[in-house]
Amino acid sequence: MSGSLNRNILISRANIRKAKGQTAAIITLVVLSSLMMNIWLMLSIDYKNNFDRYHERLNDGHVNIAAYTVDERFNKFINDTLDKNNDVTEFSVNRAYCSPISFRYNGGETSQLGVLLEKDEALARDVGKFEITDEGSLASGIYLPMLYGMENNYSIGDTIELSIYGEKYKYTVCGFFNSIMAGSHNCGLYAFLLTGDKFSEFTGKNCASESAYISIRIRDKMRAEDMETSLKDAISGEFPDVTVAGNNYKLVATSRYISQMICSGIMSAMAFFVLLIGVVVITSNVADYIRENMQNLGAQKAVGYTSRQLVSALIMQFSGISAAASVVGIILSYCIFPAVNSLMIAQTGIPYKVKLLPMPIMITIIFISGVVALAVYLSAGKIKKIEPITALRKGISTHNFKKNNVSLERSPLPLNAALAMKTTISGFKQNVTVCVTMLVISLVIVFSGVMFENVLKDIKPMIDMIAGESADSCINVNLNREEEFKSGLRCDDRVEKFYLFTNNNVEVQHVDGISLAVSVIDDSSKLNNQSMIIEGRFPKYGNEFAVAAKYAKEKGLDVGDEIMLKIGNAQDKYIISGLIQNTNNLGKDCIMTREAFEKISSLQNVSYYIDFVDGVDIDGFNSEMSEYFGSDVNVVYNILAVLEGTSKVYVSLITIIVAAVVILSCIVVIFVMYLLVRTLIGGKKRDYGILKALGFTTRQLVLQTTLSFMPSVIISTVAGIFVSIRIINPLMALFLSGIGVVKCSFAIPVGFIIFEGIGLVAFAFAAACLMSLRVKKIAPMEMLSGE
Amino acid sequence: MKEILIKTERLSKSFSSGGSLQHVLKNIDLELYKGDFTVIMGASGAGKSTLLYALSGMDTPTLGRITFGDKVISDLDSDGLALFRKAHCGFVFQQIYLIDSMSVLDNVLAAGLLVDRDKRALAGRARELFKDVGISEETIMKFPAQLSGGEAQRAGIVRALINSPEILFADEPTGALNSKSGLDVLDTLTDFNKQGQSVVMVTHDMRSARRGNRILYLSDGIVMGECDLGEYEHGDEMRHKKLSNFLTEMGW
Repeated sequence: MSGSLNRNILISRANIRKAKGQTAAIITLVVLSSLMMNIWLMLSIDYKNNFDRYHERLNDGHVNIAAYTVDERFNKFINDTLDKNNDVTEFSVNRAYCSPISFRYNGGETSQLGVLLEKDEALARDVGKFEITDEGSLASGIYLPMLYGMENNYSIGDTIELSIYGEKYKYTVCGFFNSIMAGSHNCGLYAFLLTGDKFSEFTGKNCASESAYISIRIRDKMRAEDMETSLKDAISGEFPDVTVAGNNYKLVATSRYISQMICSGIMSAMAFFVLLIGVVVITSNVADYIRENMQNLGAQKAVGYTSRQLVSALIMQFSGISAAASVVGIILSYCIFPAVNSLMIAQTGIPYKVKLLPMPIMITIIFISGVVALAVYLSAGKIKKIEPITALRKGISTHNFKKNNVSLERSPLPLNAALAMKTTISGFKQNVTVCVTMLVISLVIVFSGVMFENVLKDIKPMIDMIAGESADSCINVNLNREEEFKSGLRCDDRVEKFYLFTNNNVEVQHVDGISLAVSVIDDSSKLNNQSMIIEGRFPKYGNEFAVAAKYAKEKGLDVGDEIMLKIGNAQDKYIISGLIQNTNNLGKDCIMTREAFEKISSLQNVSYYIDFVDGVDIDGFNSEMSEYFGSDVNVVYNILAVLEGTSKVYVSLITIIVAAVVILSCIVVIFVMYLLVRTLIGGKKRDYGILKALGFTTRQLVLQTTLSFMPSVIISTVAGIFVSIRIINPLMALFLSGIGVVKCSFAIPVGFIIFEGIGLVAFAFAAACLMSLRVKKIAPMEMLSGE
Repeated sequence: MKEILIKTERLSKSFSSGGSLQHVLKNIDLELYKGDFTVIMGASGAGKSTLLYALSGMDTPTLGRITFGDKVISDLDSDGLALFRKAHCGFVFQQIYLIDSMSVLDNVLAAGLLVDRDKRALAGRARELFKDVGISEETIMKFPAQLSGGEAQRAGIVRALINSPEILFADEPTGALNSKSGLDVLDTLTDFNKQGQSVVMVTHDMRSARRGNRILYLSDGIVMGECDLGEYEHGDEMRHKKLSNFLTEMGW
């Protein structure tokens, strides 16, 4: 047994020594693949665990509810309801102020429903604890979720200006805290902690709603969504006039990890692509090895080695190399991971300590070595067919003498192209390797082109897809001033158009399903994002509504179906007029006309989206309106500034991803070309020596070598781009399905992609040319004296 | 007065071997003439092939100067030498060196198309040459591995002559062939020489050497002597006698 192992090691070592270059290139591909695979596994396995760890550490709620009331009757009701509910294990109720809050973030603005809590009360909570992560010595001011202390946003001692119902509140930042369920504006409901003096300033003011902030833990956290719905339903049933907002474990877990999902998804795709290329290259190398070492293999068989031993030696050689390279890749991934982690923390706002994770390491090593071993086993089958005597006589030839491909007499091609074509046609494995590589990289360049067009050049398509409707500004006014407000807008020549778009945390419940965030509109033709509707049409009449496509898909609903919706105790039947898509509520929202909404509820106030003519000062206009309408303006926010803040996050993330995949693709092209050219030249050393003796120059042979790759490069690039253009949107939709995307309609910049494709072919040509310069080393004399 | 085709001045070639320099060619001054069938003879290791490859631009000398017509070729780089070989030289090798993956015709056309892009004319010329050397139309469509040694070498001669080179270099062209095939190859070379083709051939076989009209004898990197057989016709017994005497004199 040990003797056999030693023999295998000896054969493997001899093989590696003979093919140092190929070994180095394969190592590089495996290192890249394992690096990305380990990062992907760390992101997808331990980041989610990290979320749960922090969730448990802070004893955070599985459902958080903010009800706009502090009525004693409500307090008794909620305590009784939760006490009686067997699914609820514990809960905390605190007094809070709840309101949409706008503030500067990431160079823009963010505006979401926020909860203001008294700091000491918040820190004393049993459920949904807040953990101070950083604080100075300031006694009066505000504590922010730690997300806002990153990326040069806010520091201790800075002033933050909160805009609440049109009024500005300036606070000094005293510190930062960690909260899982209320630590980011992506949670649906997030919190600020005010010191006692600042919190008490709100008492008696009518700016933010005095609310009850409830955090609930339940036995089965996977049922958090249902619990949220049933609680909201119970509250609305008992207190129909009380506005209720909330979030749940599932929603927060998903929404706080959108960036991580995107990043780990791309990492996994790239890891598999690079591994696939590595496997194709290894397979090709094994075939070349068998061809080039036919006599050695015959000799080894002749002296008593079995086919199994020879194949085992190859498996040991490549798997051993792959395992070692995987370890190097994993080590490198731990060097790179702190940078990736910083980027992710800046997006998620949840701290994560990089540590050694045995599970991803084991999976990476075992998976990569296993795949390589299987590929080698399958491609080394030919060894079994080698008869020692035949092999020793070079009797097994890879060339078949059936057909003289590309006859020089009849071919219309110039000499070098015709000779290159002969090589192309006879190099099946070479072509397969090139095709697989270029197909994969075509997908990458189409992805990068689409991202460039829809995110980096103009982020509007991306924003349209994930944020739904957008305009320049949004102003929320009380109903009593609505007509006056509209008349003012009509007469104002700065206003290009305005339309009702009220989505201030009103929810409607699907009787057989869950609560859906509702946006109320008056005229769908004025909406800027007409692509929000992906099937059917926007609702027009009082019995229609458009529902999120993701939710419809989950519930098996379709356009034309009739379902029962209710708010509080009122309910009615509605027909689904269309399916919409945005990710604001992770695909759990709907759009109704005002008429339809008012059949089961009534609006307390209305939000109008406003577009301005070019050059209008949006903040100035908003201030003017706030000043004129006073306390009847509840919320104003500069949507453009909000989008700027949001888009910065995506632009920076996508820029890094696009740059990384493009650089990676270039590295892959270079390595694959290196391997193929080296193998090709190695196999044709004698032929090239003869051609040099006949008078072919190095330049001609470099051209021949390079051209021999070009047909498969060009065909696979064209085919890859053609297929990728067709699949990129469905693929992106699949990729982003977790955040509510069902259909992706990114513009395909065909011209730019063609330009990229030409660039890719040119790059492959240049790489092949560069690698083919090895031909220069072949001297006719070597060939003549070599035999 | 014969026209000088190649001239060497103090031609030297050394190889480093095991840390020491091995001087294979030593200050050779030589003139090769147009239309001659020059044969280079000598014992194994005398430097015959090294001289042939230096003269043909296949290799560069360590010292000295080689002139082809008016052109100094000893100063050319590898691509310059490749262009020189393409334009002026034809080669016949002992191991034949046809490219296995190409048909016999394509082997010839690959060399021919380097110089002449008129495929039709070139293919016509190749077929004529194949006919001259006794290779059938059917055979030229085969792959080298499907030919006998003699056929392959004659195909090699066609490849060497396809560009009508000013000089044909042959390195032991019969070395790997049986007696009958060797004779056929020598007859072919003799025929082309009679038609005016300059030939330089390396051999250590006296039967082959008899085909030449000028014999150079190389020993230890030096041209020890030369013998002119031009006055006798091929087949003349005197030619054989004179060559035998010369070689005996040279210590062969």
